[in-house]
Amino acid sequence: MSGYDRALSVFSPDGHVFQVEYAMEAVKRGTCAVGVKGKNIVVLGCEKRSALKLQDTRITPSKIANVDEHVCLAFAGLNADARILIDKARLEAQSHRLTVEDPVTIEYITKYIAGVQQRYTQSGGVRPFGISTLVVGFDKNDSTPRLYQTEPSGIYSAWKANAIGRSSKTVREFLERNHQDDMDREQTIQLTIKSLLEVVQTGAKNIEVAIMTPGNRVEMLPDDQIEAYVKSIETEKQEEAAKKKTSRTGAATAAILTRPGGGETAE
Amino acid sequence: MDKLVAQYSRPSHQNDFYTEEEQHDMTGSLPPLSLKFALPPVANPSAFLRAMTDDHSNPSCPIKLAHGTTTLAFRFQGGIIVCTDSRATAGNWIASQTVKKVIPVSRLSRGEDKPSNDPTPGLLGTMAGGAADCQYWLRYLSQQCTLHEIRHKRRITVAAASKILANLTYAYKGYGLSMGTMLAGVTPQEGPALYYIDSDGTRLPGNLFCVGSGQTFAYGVLDANYRYDLSEKEALDLGRRAILAAMHRDAYSGGFINCYHVTEAGWVHHGFDDMNPIFWKTKLESGEFSNVTSEL
Amino acid sequence: MAVLLGITGKDFVIVAASKAIMRGPTIIKAQDDKTRQLNRHTMMAFSGEAGDTVQFAEFIQANVQLYSMRNDSELSPSAVANFVRGELASSLRSRSPYTVNLLLGGMDPHTQQPHLYWIDYLASLARVPYAAHGYAQYYCLSLLDKHHNPDIDLAQGMKLLEMCTDELKRRLPIDYKGVLVKIITKDGVKEVDFDNDKIVRSA
Repeated sequence: MSGYDRALSVFSPDGHVFQVEYAMEAVKRGTCAVGVKGKNIVVLGCEKRSALKLQDTRITPSKIANVDEHVCLAFAGLNADARILIDKARLEAQSHRLTVEDPVTIEYITKYIAGVQQRYTQSGGVRPFGISTLVVGFDKNDSTPRLYQTEPSGIYSAWKANAIGRSSKTVREFLERNHQDDMDREQTIQLTIKSLLEVVQTGAKNIEVAIMTPGNRVEMLPDDQIEAYVKSIETEKQEEAAKKKTSRTGAATAAILTRPGGGETAE
Repeated sequence: MDKLVAQYSRPSHQNDFYTEEEQHDMTGSLPPLSLKFALPPVANPSAFLRAMTDDHSNPSCPIKLAHGTTTLAFRFQGGIIVCTDSRATAGNWIASQTVKKVIPVSRLSRGEDKPSNDPTPGLLGTMAGGAADCQYWLRYLSQQCTLHEIRHKRRITVAAASKILANLTYAYKGYGLSMGTMLAGVTPQEGPALYYIDSDGTRLPGNLFCVGSGQTFAYGVLDANYRYDLSEKEALDLGRRAILAAMHRDAYSGGFINCYHVTEAGWVHHGFDDMNPIFWKTKLESGEFSNVTSEL
Repeated sequence: MAVLLGITGKDFVIVAASKAIMRGPTIIKAQDDKTRQLNRHTMMAFSGEAGDTVQFAEFIQANVQLYSMRNDSELSPSAVANFVRGELASSLRSRSPYTVNLLLGGMDPHTQQPHLYWIDYLASLARVPYAAHGYAQYYCLSLLDKHHNPDIDLAQGMKLLEMCTDELKRRLPIDYKGVLVKIITKDGVKEVDFDNDKIVRSA
């Protein structure tokens, strides 16, 4: 490399800003986070890093954070960077309430977060945020679920369902195959957990799930319920696998596999 | 090569790039109060202004501000009615009889009233107190509302618009601003919404407000006959009658009765009518104003 | 002039604030809410200079909520009260001080003790069992001195409040358009019905 990756505000001759691309690399190494919209509901799912033996998991900060009462955010990438960004977003959310009375819309706060991220790609002496975020929630007096993604470059985009972080490609492809419009609460939670299980090997204890519904605060799904979902998904999978075995004798099945063949998890 | 790169990778304080604050200022959603005014070169500008303009304690003060008004607005089942008189006074001098005291606050409707009867989208603001202050700051508010509309891809709520104005008047509290404004609008999020904002920094939502030197006279008529379920015609007539009452009794109110009706589609103008024929018509046909004699 | 009243009991705080807003000769609003909820179990009632009151209360509200959001825990009533006092004290020494008088009520989420603080625009802070601001002080404090004790239940507290408002109706020369009553218990803050239409005869 010719040194064009050392200064942030310098382009390489072929138009890359390498520091930003490195930041996106940091995101890919972060644990996976998933957001899924249903009808009147939006669910965030996160892969938790497996805890060390002596770590106190109850009070270790979560990857899902409240920005305001009606806005929830999950991130993938550098935890420490996220803390700073979340704090800025929280401050803006309260400041917005104070200056125009209404709480922020989800799009507004997403745009703000993306704006901060963009600023850190163009200012001297700073480095970009090594995180992507999923911002979810409901606008005031509105029951349309919202799901946005922001990236280190400052891009933001709206989604029906999306994944960020490690193996996000696999999970996104899974979501593309299985997402339907107007899913109810059960289906939405189920799809979230199911998609996470594509990449989380250790099951329920490494998953956390947050649920947003119109006019309510965030609801963290209790561990035992996550466990129940994981169990039911696993038995369902086993049954399916068993069925496939028995029908293997017939003509080649054209069924779409819910899970891509093994060995594709690494990106 | 390394030397060239090093030149660009110095710490930020050596760059003549923008500081983080400056950048925040540029990207922040609401521009900070960038409207800096020249203040008179005296120790206490607001006291100086008061000494120059307060015509109650000093009838020969050098600057006479346009004051004195009756404005009213109220919510009812069909939206919001906004009515005003049209007189501007500077001290005891009637400066104008044809002031438009209802100011459209929105991108689409700024400027002259349209001749058509189609509703014009946007909010309405009223003007009481200093004419210049009201016109200037409602124009400023109009800018902010338009910017909001562009940034957020939806119309600003009346709550937000009124708060922008109230924060502004609060920031200039004590500097001698003089305004009593009502903001009326109907949005899908809030329905019909009416706010009172004044130069003390007060901001109140409500059903019914009268503002100006003739407010008490207008209240007298309006309170007695106000109901939320008035029909559109009843509401307009009541608004007009309340303004007429104030124009009749308050020396600083008069001229023409200006009437607007605000609905979700926008506002509709309902006439800018000379008070005189209306007064005599009211007296002779309804038998009101019996203290005024029509015989010689 | 606004009426603010606060009464604590065994497991509750009652805060009452008059509903009228006056400007010159006019009551421009008769259904005003001069209170703001700060977090789940603290609230504040305010009176004073027009504009200052709401600006200050909402500033405090935003900061207390930001604290809850950032730290995933809520400030106790005493913490909020001391924060408010600090803000008023620094404002007092600034170029444009806030002219706001406050009653701050809350339940401590850990000890389940009711807290009521009397705060004025000079940044005095006092924890009290009952409190009033404005002209209400002159009538109600003596009355509460006589009838209040810290072990009363909510019904007795409401009775005491009624005694206060009755006296105000009898002797205060202005109509403050009744009071808006909020109570704080371990379950949070809620508005309660209060009969403001009762006619009180003078002796």
